[in-house]
Amino acid sequence: MTLSLMILFPLLGFLINGISHLIAARNGKRVSSEVSGWIATLAMIASFVVAVYFYFGLKAMPEDSRMIEQTLFQWLKLGGLSIPFMLRLDSLSVVFALVITGVGSLIHLYSIGYMNHDETPAKFFSYLNFFCFMMLNLVLGATLPHVFLGWEGVGLASYLLIGYWYADPEKVSAGQKAFIMNRIGDLAFLIAMFVAFKHFGTLDLVDLQKANFSPEIATVFGLLIFFACTGKSAQIPLFTWLPDAMAGPTPVSALIHAATMVTSGVYLLSRLQHIISASNTVMMIIAIVGAATAFISALIACAQSDIKKVLAYSTVSQLGFMILGCGVGAFDAAVFHVMTHAFFKALLFLGAGSVIHALHEEQNIFKMGGLRAKLPITSLTFIVAWAAISGFPPFSGFFSKDEIIFQSLVSDHGNGMLFATAVAAAFLTAFYMTRLVVLVFFGQSRVEAAVEKKIHESPKTMTIPLMVLAVLAFVGGWFGAPVHVGGLEGASDNHSLEIGVMVGSVVLALLAAWIAYRKYAPLKTEEKANRFLSSGMGIDSFYDRVIAGGTRGLAQGIYRFFEEFVVQRILRWTSAAVDLSGNMLKVVQIGSAQAYLMMILIAVCIFAIWFLKWGTSLG
Amino acid sequence: MTMAVEPWMMLVVAVVVFSIGLMGVILRKNLLVMLMCIELMLNGVNLSFVAFSRIHHLIDGDVTVLFVMAVAGAESAVGLGLVIALFRTLRTVDSDQIQMLRD
Amino acid sequence: MENIDTLSVLLTVPFAGALLSWVIPRGLQRLYAIFGSCVVLALTIYETASVLFATTASQASSLALEQKLPWVPELGLSLHLRLDSVSCWFVALNAVVALLAFSLRGSWYRKNPRLFTSLGFFLVFALNSAFLSANLILFYLAYEAVYVPIILMVGIWGYRAKATSVYRFFLMSFLGSVMMLVSIIYLISLYHAQTGQYSSSLFDLIQVTSTQSPESLRWCFWGFFLAFAVKVPLFPFHGWLKEVYVNAPMPVTIWLSAILSKLGVFGFIRFVGPLFSEVAQRDQGLLLALAAISVIYAALLAIRSNGPKTLLAYSSISHLGFVMVGVFALSPSGNAAAILLSVGHGLVSSMLFFLLHLIEERKEALSLDTYHGFAKLYPTLFAAFFVGVLASVSLPGTLNFAGEFLVLLHAYPASAFCTILASFGVILGAVYMLKFYQRIGFGKENPSAVTTNGTAMKDLSGYDLLILLALVLVLIYFGFQPAIFLKGN
Repeated sequence: MTLSLMILFPLLGFLINGISHLIAARNGKRVSSEVSGWIATLAMIASFVVAVYFYFGLKAMPEDSRMIEQTLFQWLKLGGLSIPFMLRLDSLSVVFALVITGVGSLIHLYSIGYMNHDETPAKFFSYLNFFCFMMLNLVLGATLPHVFLGWEGVGLASYLLIGYWYADPEKVSAGQKAFIMNRIGDLAFLIAMFVAFKHFGTLDLVDLQKANFSPEIATVFGLLIFFACTGKSAQIPLFTWLPDAMAGPTPVSALIHAATMVTSGVYLLSRLQHIISASNTVMMIIAIVGAATAFISALIACAQSDIKKVLAYSTVSQLGFMILGCGVGAFDAAVFHVMTHAFFKALLFLGAGSVIHALHEEQNIFKMGGLRAKLPITSLTFIVAWAAISGFPPFSGFFSKDEIIFQSLVSDHGNGMLFATAVAAAFLTAFYMTRLVVLVFFGQSRVEAAVEKKIHESPKTMTIPLMVLAVLAFVGGWFGAPVHVGGLEGASDNHSLEIGVMVGSVVLALLAAWIAYRKYAPLKTEEKANRFLSSGMGIDSFYDRVIAGGTRGLAQGIYRFFEEFVVQRILRWTSAAVDLSGNMLKVVQIGSAQAYLMMILIAVCIFAIWFLKWGTSLG
Repeated sequence: MTMAVEPWMMLVVAVVVFSIGLMGVILRKNLLVMLMCIELMLNGVNLSFVAFSRIHHLIDGDVTVLFVMAVAGAESAVGLGLVIALFRTLRTVDSDQIQMLRD
Repeated sequence: MENIDTLSVLLTVPFAGALLSWVIPRGLQRLYAIFGSCVVLALTIYETASVLFATTASQASSLALEQKLPWVPELGLSLHLRLDSVSCWFVALNAVVALLAFSLRGSWYRKNPRLFTSLGFFLVFALNSAFLSANLILFYLAYEAVYVPIILMVGIWGYRAKATSVYRFFLMSFLGSVMMLVSIIYLISLYHAQTGQYSSSLFDLIQVTSTQSPESLRWCFWGFFLAFAVKVPLFPFHGWLKEVYVNAPMPVTIWLSAILSKLGVFGFIRFVGPLFSEVAQRDQGLLLALAAISVIYAALLAIRSNGPKTLLAYSSISHLGFVMVGVFALSPSGNAAAILLSVGHGLVSSMLFFLLHLIEERKEALSLDTYHGFAKLYPTLFAAFFVGVLASVSLPGTLNFAGEFLVLLHAYPASAFCTILASFGVILGAVYMLKFYQRIGFGKENPSAVTTNGTAMKDLSGYDLLILLALVLVLIYFGFQPAIFLKGN
């Protein structure tokens, strides 16, 4: 049993499904959703089994040498650089690997039912497997270029899956936006690698931890890496692609834009924490960006009317929490939140998918309501997720979010402002989530009559993952919760403050939930939302006009003023110069014998003078 | 004032005659005049040959002069014949007017 | 230096191919051309393998094959051929590109096909002579000889503005190479002044330049620089490129983009680097800046362009800017990375133009005025196209990423600013390539496209499929195992 099997299974699934799709498409046929879906799901389950196996293998090893490596082949080797294609599993990457393969398997299973009526399910499942292959490379890669391979690979998978229904130009454009925005972050990653190679001399992740560096270089490197993370993890300023990414099928939103890809930023920061935490500037910036993003996107989420958009902004906000955790030095807490967030956010998205599926593609929450009765499993699991994300104990989200909020107060890098922002964001989280749950599942039904008749609970392949995730969202917190509340982790020093924060956050969450319930339960018609908030504070259109439009304008300007004026002129002048000189020399061919004679005379005179002066030798 | 005729004097005369002829060919328009000037050039060259044969006390120069005179005679006969044939068609001996081979 | 007699085979076979094409019947020309280029490719692989996988001790130390045939000994001219770790990849690329260019079906096989294959093989011959030469005069002759087939091919089978475009191409390139000729003659005279003999062999001249002061060689360096800068092309000498690419028949566009530009790259690595190493160091900042500007400038123009061929033309300039960044790093690893990326670019650009040709064929057969919905109609074609796009965008895992990453990494110590500027090309490249790919593939497909008048073109099949599959596999495999291209450095 080798590490490489973990990435091999999804790769095989990708190839099998991809090739069978191409062959079927050429002949006008279609591979069924069940066949391709089960191939993909089994690949993921096999990968999960491998991950579990190695988890126990790691646990059996002594605490400070928990690492398993496997070198597959030599990849890049030139000059002083030597990058093998090497997989490495340690206590950080095993958490991610388990989440990716575990939650991934559940989402694959769910997709079998969800993509039942799609035209090309084999293509979909091949893309999903490809994504998981790349994501696993990201977390298992032992060198920065290997991580980059996975980093860009998941960006590609995201593009393919967001724009999956490519007949609709808007969806394609959403995928394009995601890819380009990610690429801007990738540029920072690339430059960070150049800096690392020049100043640290290595690109291996373990060697980087041991490298010598000056604080200035650490700052530069840290900033570059963080900028790359803002792209992948949808933080300010590169977050506007995530709400648009909801154009993709819901399982995609669940897997990529909730549970896994967007957490790559958190992974990278944790992986490089040794260097990043050496620079206070970078930590401060990370924490501020995380807190700000958490708060602002929570505000925006309060004004959304599309069920998936609410969840999208919620994801951005929760990612903000994780980034905040990194910024205050609580990397373990951030990773813990990655895990719990994967559970409840995937659950929320899959539940939303179930609702959308049941209502025949309706996504406006103001056209829902009172679905509790008709969709019992969906609503129950959704409410479990609601409890988790709002931070009610003993659900998992409470422990992880609380740890971050607490650390933002007490840690060396933390301060009161960050704490206050985090608390405010948590309050808003409870508010908008309650708003969502109430509008969708409680109160009066605002569903259109024609649709109402056909509402039915989803098939087993869709509800079983929901139930499994609900259980995980419930118990998942015990892994990382402090011991004195019944969990497994050690307690911190500031015992009483910690209890105080816990109690306070629960009280605030209850308060927010109650306010939201009072406001939205009796709602009968659509709410007039704040335009500024619901459009995402205009940031997206700003980017579109300024950056995209600016680039286009720059391109056009360069073409007009430089290419046409200067370069083409150079071209025309050279040809004109040649023509001109030709014309001038043409004069010699005058056709007049007398002129020829004159020229001969002049030439003879010149020769005569030459020979008289310098003799007949040529040198 | 009697002076012996030095060879260098003959060379000067030869050069002068040659140059007059050369200038004439280059600058005059009338074809017949151009032919006459070509004859002048040949005569100048003849003079210089004689002068050199005087200087070196050899007979070679003089013999060359005989050759040149023969060829010059043949050449003027042909040249005049061409001018007359040209005049018959174009009714002019002005070289500026004869442009058929020009650009 | 083993295998003394076999290198010239790489010259004589293409030349013979050019002559032989006149006796092959018209209808079989395409098959003959493909067969001929396979023969050349096989010979090239054999020769390259003997260079790279040296078995005897003497070969292992030199990692090169050489062959020297006397020509004009008094003037120091000899047919000095050298296949080493620098030139072998360009020669190999030449053979592969010839195979791809000859594989396209089009008007060139219907009208005067014999002339086409003859000119094509002559071009292969001239290019091989250029890449194999270790003698400056021989190199210059081959360099100039390349113009003849190009001008003729564009002139006969080209499109609307073929005359002016090829005239401008010729003019600018020729002015540049005349500068190089002056420099070459100067170098030969320097050698003559030192040793009293004439020689135009590269190694003799390297000895001469190493004894001169960098100041005195400066204008000589710029003479060479001008010639190659126009060929690559490097900003701001790129004005000729777009018109020629657009108006040339597709095989010629492939030749121009995939291999002729590499003549410039090769010239820099093989001649300018060794001859003028100190001189170049002084101006390195300017050189790197020009290369970085090439990347960004051309990428912006690509974003703005409307036609597919124009876009790919500017994309070509942009990628070659990356290659030149590697060359101007003036180090062995920079050169190796530049060669790697050149090979990658050659393969990708010929692949993209090849696919574009296939797409245009289908678009014409369907009489569409827009492309919409091609992805659905021709899934395999589009999958191959997408792989080409990904390689062009330098997605990790492709050969181009390995080249680009190594180029930028090794150029970074030389100039951080220029490297970072060039890296922005990564973002811009994604912008225009995605736009290109999406505009061709997506949107609602044209309903009339599904049923045509019985002559519907099928998806990728047979020979085309084989070629593209091979290209895809090469791009991905060597994306993870690029070591063989970096050998010897």
